[in-house]
Amino acid sequence: MAHKKIAKLGTVFMAAVLMFGLLAGCGDNKDQNGGSAKAETASEKVFTFGDTTFNAENDESDVNPHRGYSGWACIRYGIGETLFKYSDSMELEPWLAKSYENIDDNTWKITLQDNVTFSSGRKMDAQAVKECLDDLVAVHERAAGDLKISNIDADGQILTITTSEPVPALMNYLSDPYGCIIDMEAGITADGKVVGTGPYIVKELETDKGVTLVKNDNYWNGSPHLDTIYVKTITDGDTMTMAMQSGELDAAYGLPYASLPLFKNEPYTISSCETSRSFFAQMNYATEALQDDDVRAAIASAIDKENFTSVLMDGNGTAAVGPFPASFTFGDNAVTAESYDPAKAKELLKKAGWTDTDGDGYVDKNGKKLTIRWLTYPSRQELPLLAESVQATMKDVGIDIQVNCTANHQDYLDKGDWDIFAGAFVSAPTGDPEYFFTTHCLDSSTKNRGGYHSDALEALEKQMSVTFDSSERATLGTQMTQTILDDHAFVFASHLKMSMVSGKGVSGLVAHPSDYYEITADLDKE
Amino acid sequence: MRKYIIKRLLQLIPILFGITLLTFVLMHTSSVDAVDMMEQNTGMAWTEEQKTAIREELGLDKSVPVQYLNWVGNMLKGDMGTSYISGQPVLQMFLTRLPMTIYLTITSILLTIALSIPLGILSAVRKNRFTDYFIRILSFVGNSMPGFFVALLLMYVFSLKLGWFPVMGSGQGWKSIVLPTLTLAIAMSAKYTRQIRATVLEELKKDYVVGARARGVRERKILVGSVLKASMLTIVTLLSLSIGSLLGGTAIVESIFMWDGVGKMAVDAILTRDYPVIQVYVVWMAIIYVMVNLVTDIIYHYLDPRIRLQEKS
Repeated sequence: MAHKKIAKLGTVFMAAVLMFGLLAGCGDNKDQNGGSAKAETASEKVFTFGDTTFNAENDESDVNPHRGYSGWACIRYGIGETLFKYSDSMELEPWLAKSYENIDDNTWKITLQDNVTFSSGRKMDAQAVKECLDDLVAVHERAAGDLKISNIDADGQILTITTSEPVPALMNYLSDPYGCIIDMEAGITADGKVVGTGPYIVKELETDKGVTLVKNDNYWNGSPHLDTIYVKTITDGDTMTMAMQSGELDAAYGLPYASLPLFKNEPYTISSCETSRSFFAQMNYATEALQDDDVRAAIASAIDKENFTSVLMDGNGTAAVGPFPASFTFGDNAVTAESYDPAKAKELLKKAGWTDTDGDGYVDKNGKKLTIRWLTYPSRQELPLLAESVQATMKDVGIDIQVNCTANHQDYLDKGDWDIFAGAFVSAPTGDPEYFFTTHCLDSSTKNRGGYHSDALEALEKQMSVTFDSSERATLGTQMTQTILDDHAFVFASHLKMSMVSGKGVSGLVAHPSDYYEITADLDKE
Repeated sequence: MRKYIIKRLLQLIPILFGITLLTFVLMHTSSVDAVDMMEQNTGMAWTEEQKTAIREELGLDKSVPVQYLNWVGNMLKGDMGTSYISGQPVLQMFLTRLPMTIYLTITSILLTIALSIPLGILSAVRKNRFTDYFIRILSFVGNSMPGFFVALLLMYVFSLKLGWFPVMGSGQGWKSIVLPTLTLAIAMSAKYTRQIRATVLEELKKDYVVGARARGVRERKILVGSVLKASMLTIVTLLSLSIGSLLGGTAIVESIFMWDGVGKMAVDAILTRDYPVIQVYVVWMAIIYVMVNLVTDIIYHYLDPRIRLQEKS
């Protein structure tokens, strides 16, 4: 009897489970596309954009620029705009502000555009900008540290900012995505939606899933062409590739390198440009062999950057000279570094006393083989490839590279258990050269892991810290770059090329070296 | 039976404490914490002051025992903490995703049962004939293909080439569930079919089957009424292992099909050192482990008379 009861109960349970399964599936027909299953009208232009970056792991949980790196989502998706923006050569140009004037070391006067309104309808004046920036520096640790704002005065369309100490790159920092000007009167919703001045308004968002945007009919700077944009976060590269091929995506950002050849021909277009994300190696000056400049120069001469970028990265990077790409005024075109020259590398090693005395193919000195511990990490796909490339070319000149590619690289860095550390870094996120040197190359730099020191560099930085003119800063940046290259303290392998793929009939999606501007009023679809 | 169930449920308490403590200690053996991972992911440089401030905000500046005790104290009040990465309440994040994992588990298991039991029996009954070889080859192929490959292959054929299902399946009603279910069911069915075949073959050799045939009982009745019943122990064991594994989420399938389940959430949490999320996942896995084993034991009790007799004696 008990068994029959169990059997009956089991049958009822299975039936209930099946019903639940069917009903749950049927019910899940909303929310990914704007919160309703309402049919779009034939005249509405709808655009679907695939993106890999709108997720909590990237610190982009919402579109509130005052939180983490969510400013990137705010500016990329056309919701918010900054006072100034970057040109293709990463120089500042007017955007929400017309002009700026540096009154003295600590005081800046910014004149705003007259015709800007937030999508809420409120006019953007100096008071609105003050409210926004006051909130920014109150809640955003990084912005507060960069901007060092002590006071803001608002008078009509004139904003006067006073800093607690000289910040020569203040306008550059204000053009960082966290500087998107949002309407504080309209507020920030609990899920991180904000009101900006951009061509699109955020209607729905869900962390790790995507954003729904609608046209801002009151946009001050043109007429957006699209009625609705769905930004979908897609973490798997193959899924994104197939979604582009099937036409479910109109455009995509962050496709894997291996997929790009599929979209080389019509009806697709690929827009790519160099960014300031650089892959580079830094020398550990605690390693005895690397204290010799000839050995460091030999290593620099034994890295085949062209092969790395054109073959291993399949053309998705450009061979680097210094930390900044050629498109920057203080970039690669202005500096020189060792080029790939194995013969020269061997000569330099010989000059330093390293020769292959035992015939094992590797140079040695005083009975000790030249072995270099190359430390890197796997989360950037290019870095393991760089390590392998270096290991092969170094072997040809007689240097034994032992690669340690680990997510726990910090452990090894802390213990000093490395000779060369290779990593990736956005060297000029605000178009200003100082950032890279203050973070990596000075005695006080947090990422000067190798203990590099240069009196000349320290002196140049002292000058840079009080230089306000952007062209003078560019000149100093070039000098500082050349200093670290001449010392062979760093070897820059490549600059990342970011690519965006557009589908049939899509226009106005153009890659930018800052990686900040994607969805703009120009974006359109036939 | 009631006492047995209560005893097993009470075992959950020390298991939960043990596993969460062990996980906590292991997570903190790494010198890289959530703040370091956040910095690395952004590709920027944060000052030590910035990192210290964030660590203080997240409570990461306290010692490991204090952090654990704080977590336990909050957990007992129902507060599992907030995600270091997204800032959302962890329990809410988890409960939002759990129904999707359960949904996928149910559909995958049902399809697996629907495929593997008939195929396993058919393969056993038609032993060493074409049908048997064909089913065994399918099983071999299904077992050999990694899950991500099956997922992408199904997507390529059914979404891209045939256009039957969308590539970006999430939020598309019943169409969302088909390919993820197939992906999981193919691998599980391949394994189950072989096991069921082996079990059925074993049972078919037994005296009670020979006796039933001698008495003229129809083969179908022997298979369904007796052999399948006797094979249920094996099937239930396999099911319990698979259900436990599926309820833990399948990160790869979730990632490829954009299925918002707990598996990917867990993997992302591990990669970003999001300790509160890892802890809630570990708690969930401990609960699954105890509950699935308990339910399996209860089912054994009702399926196998020998166990009931043993308990009585």
